Amino acid sequence: MTYFEIFHLPPKLGLDTAALEKQFYKLSREYHPDRFASKSVEEQNKATEMSSLLNDAYRTLKDPIRRTEYLLELEGIELEEQSVKATAAAREAGKEKKQIVPPDLLEEAFELNMQLEEMKMAKQMGDDDLQLRKDLEAAKANFTAMLDASQKTLEALWQSWDAAVDSGDDGAKDAAKDEMVATLNRRSYLRNLVRDVNAALE
Amino acid sequence: MAYSDKVVDHYENPRNVGTLDKSSTEVGTGLVGAPECGDVMRLQIKVNPETQVIEDAKFKTFGCGSAIASSSLATEWVKGKTVAEALTISNTDIVKELALPPVKIHCSVLAEDAIRAAIGDWKKKNGSAEAEPALASVSV
Repeated sequence: MTYFEIFHLPPKLGLDTAALEKQFYKLSREYHPDRFASKSVEEQNKATEMSSLLNDAYRTLKDPIRRTEYLLELEGIELEEQSVKATAAAREAGKEKKQIVPPDLLEEAFELNMQLEEMKMAKQMGDDDLQLRKDLEAAKANFTAMLDASQKTLEALWQSWDAAVDSGDDGAKDAAKDEMVATLNRRSYLRNLVRDVNAALE
Repeated sequence: MAYSDKVVDHYENPRNVGTLDKSSTEVGTGLVGAPECGDVMRLQIKVNPETQVIEDAKFKTFGCGSAIASSSLATEWVKGKTVAEALTISNTDIVKELALPPVKIHCSVLAEDAIRAAIGDWKKKNGSAEAEPALASVSV
């Protein structure tokens, strides 16, 4: 049973989290152990299992990023495994592996990390002047804005995905999946940058 | 989960951190990333045009201890090898040497990708035709 199925939902991404919460409480009551106290051990175990599945499902589906990652996983997209296989294939063919992450994003992430490191080093040297703090604050605002923008991109892709599910258009589904993977990848880098700039500002 | 002694050693005393002249025709640069964790790794090699031996290697990695250790080890291993020999280094060699746990295998994959990307860049700069004979002579 998938997390979507436990909530009687189609595998779509643009979901109403308020309705999800309501449904979660309703189902929680249905599977509550107290209601099974007089039932057979087998039924009690089943209820406990459902109850724990329900909790996992709720935690995953209410979070937009985890929901997207979970859907991609259901769709058989295993980034790490793909990456390991692609490396092995490149080695055997004596070729360079095609990177999952676009080169311009890597350049950008690398440059931003370099800047951040310079700022952190200056700070460690006791050079915690006003200008440096301003630079860090500006970097933070920049990264945060980029992270927010990636969220918007993702939300737009949910709509494409959901529309493709409704119309049964496999080509459009695949296109939406690819773009979601790319957006989530970009997000991993941005999330780390935001984390690092926050640490530098502390 | 604890890091192995070798990972800690490379992490605390990383070998060959730095930059080589990206514009030199003797230098190949590989920039690779692991989206699973948001790590970025740059590995550069300096190749002797006569012998095809990698005379110097530098890296800069933004990532976890295992990613830093993997790239540090990779620079140590490629130094002194020919380009063709360096291409035989596999991520499983790195996993074994550093005793990386399964969740950190992608770090070793990243290091292998970085070596391959750096060599690819160097070959592009020098025309693959020149690089091929040396490759063939070793693989035969």
